[in-house]
Amino acid sequence: MKGYWARRTGSALLILGLVLVLNFMLFRMMPGDPVASIIDPNFSPEAKARLSQVYGLDKPLPVQFWRYVKSTLSFDFGISFLTGRPVMEELRSRLPNTVTLLGTSLLLSALLGTWLGMKAALRRGSFLEKCILWSGAVSFSFPSFFVQLTLLMAFAAALPVFPLRGTLSVPPPAGGMALLADYLWHMALPVFSLALLGFGGWALYVRNLMVKILGEDFILLARARGLPQRNIVMGHAFRTLLPTLLTIFLLSLPGIVSGAVITETVFSLHGVGRFLLEAVTGHDYPAAGASFFLLALLTVSCNLLSDLLYGVTDPRVRMERGGRR
Amino acid sequence: MKALLNRWSFWCLLAIILLALFGAGLFDGPPEREVASAFSKPLWLDRTLPPGMELRLGQSAPAAELDWNHGAPAGFSVKISGGESNPDRYVRWTTPDGKSFNLSPLRRGAEVDGRDISFKRSLGLPPFGDAAAALFPAKGAYRAEITGEGDWEGEVVIRMEGGRWGLLGTDQRGRDIAALFVAGIRVSLLVGIFATLIATFLGATLGLAAGYLGGWVDAVIMRGVDLLLSIPLLPILMALAALWGKGLWQLILILSVFSWMGSARTIRALTLSLRDAQYIEDLRGIGAPSGYILRRHLLPETLPVLLASMTLGVPGAILSEAWLSFLGLSDPRVISWGRMLHEAQSFGAFTAGAWWMLLPPGLGIALLCLVFLDLGKYLEERIDPRLRGGTAP
Repeated sequence: MKGYWARRTGSALLILGLVLVLNFMLFRMMPGDPVASIIDPNFSPEAKARLSQVYGLDKPLPVQFWRYVKSTLSFDFGISFLTGRPVMEELRSRLPNTVTLLGTSLLLSALLGTWLGMKAALRRGSFLEKCILWSGAVSFSFPSFFVQLTLLMAFAAALPVFPLRGTLSVPPPAGGMALLADYLWHMALPVFSLALLGFGGWALYVRNLMVKILGEDFILLARARGLPQRNIVMGHAFRTLLPTLLTIFLLSLPGIVSGAVITETVFSLHGVGRFLLEAVTGHDYPAAGASFFLLALLTVSCNLLSDLLYGVTDPRVRMERGGRR
Repeated sequence: MKALLNRWSFWCLLAIILLALFGAGLFDGPPEREVASAFSKPLWLDRTLPPGMELRLGQSAPAAELDWNHGAPAGFSVKISGGESNPDRYVRWTTPDGKSFNLSPLRRGAEVDGRDISFKRSLGLPPFGDAAAALFPAKGAYRAEITGEGDWEGEVVIRMEGGRWGLLGTDQRGRDIAALFVAGIRVSLLVGIFATLIATFLGATLGLAAGYLGGWVDAVIMRGVDLLLSIPLLPILMALAALWGKGLWQLILILSVFSWMGSARTIRALTLSLRDAQYIEDLRGIGAPSGYILRRHLLPETLPVLLASMTLGVPGAILSEAWLSFLGLSDPRVISWGRMLHEAQSFGAFTAGAWWMLLPPGLGIALLCLVFLDLGKYLEERIDPRLRGGTAP
């Protein structure tokens, strides 16, 4: 047991180290002079050199790398080239919006998808099953931003039910409840669209797993023992499914970050995803590096957590030598 | 083979490829050409809108009457060509309610547009909006004529932009969306097919090596797979697209470098199971070199699986290209479906209510992805007949 955990943790740390190196190299190799983007090209060479010195860009690469690792591990990401404010401060103001957006929509789509997937598996060949199969295929082939743009066009431009852009009205309404209502009104369409895009895949996945499990011998045995249907489905089939579902849930967390970038761009939300896009296109090394590091940290810790949870819920995994195979 | 001919996706793909190859011939001029006013609706959408119209004035016909039965046109412009400049003569425009405007002196090569501020100031109109609204206040008979002193040889073209154009309307620059749509097929097909080809080649090579050779080769390759799988794909693609430049081939390379992991895993698993098969053992026993076994026996065994996983991988590449273009990280000179959606979002399709800019590229991407998903499913069923009979669409 201890060996399994140590092995997984070690490999997570190794990957995190590699990510650090990659992260550093990636942004130092970007084209475009970062200093050029924040100062006037007519500045004297002395002024440019001075700015390079302030941002530490004149030091040799190994020194830059060492400084980078030290500051990254202490969550001090420096000052954004574009906004001139500490990156951490920028991220902190954006993080709640992104967490709300992704958390709510993922939870919604997972719950709805699981419920519909179970129903579809129990009623093979029904109309509901066909709908689920198609919605899965659609969610794999329709570009998310297209669906969101269409929703925006329909429910914000043509029928002005929801706001066209932003996280809050400008100026924001006074009073706690009014502010909350305004926030929810702005977040409704993004959250709903993400949930809509996500549930098809979930339903398809749960359905496929459930169909497989329902065909297993132990379900046949449970039926032969005359157990009630509800008991068989929830107590036996779903219980077997649960560890896998939990893992998938955790593993899908980093993947939906792409969803954040797209959604926040489409709906012009004040979030981390759009910050990342602006940082990448604006040669804002500290900001982009910080976003990347946090993303990688999120991914690696989710992977680790899912491995460990799987080890807890499924005893067969930790008995096996050599981890997953 | 006959089953393939019964698949809708096969015929659909064929039609799409034909359109990509020969579609440009359906339109006269390149797709970048501006054909009508911005945000023109599709022809079939709104029959009450005015059509595009031109009035030509010259020495032989110095005046023209126009019977106008619509609201104001979407655009209004005057173009003067030929002849010597004669500032004493000008184009006069008379509306049905008796007002008249001096549109422009006859200066050689002069061009005025209803949106020009100086033009609106010269007519005594406020500098906002389009002059067309003031020049077309009502339905009825309009008159355009050349007036003033002196001789003049040349031609004046007064152009009224209609609010509707073509099969699919126009975009924010007045380009034909149908032509852009057809031009965009090429990028999606190219990126989708080549990126997955390269990725599958990489994945097959590394997967075969990892599975057959085992040991440290296997360990290194599989750690690499783990690493690449643990980085969120879109952010890294964004960074690389900004880093390596925005060309189409760079994009294809970037996409393939980050999508070989799936096929590598599949092929490795398959190779692991084949490696210890009796006939491979026998081959090794009679002294066949590894390269020979890999090339002549293992690769052909894995080929059908590779083909299916490749076909199923194409939608991913198409979608990734669309993502990047949508985020504005593609070459702005290359027309692609993602780029069209990017422009729809950034250049005011929403305020103009121009949904016809949105649907064609979006549905195009979705259709192409569905086609490849269906073909991939067909191939999988051929390999493994147990999948037949409705497990997944």
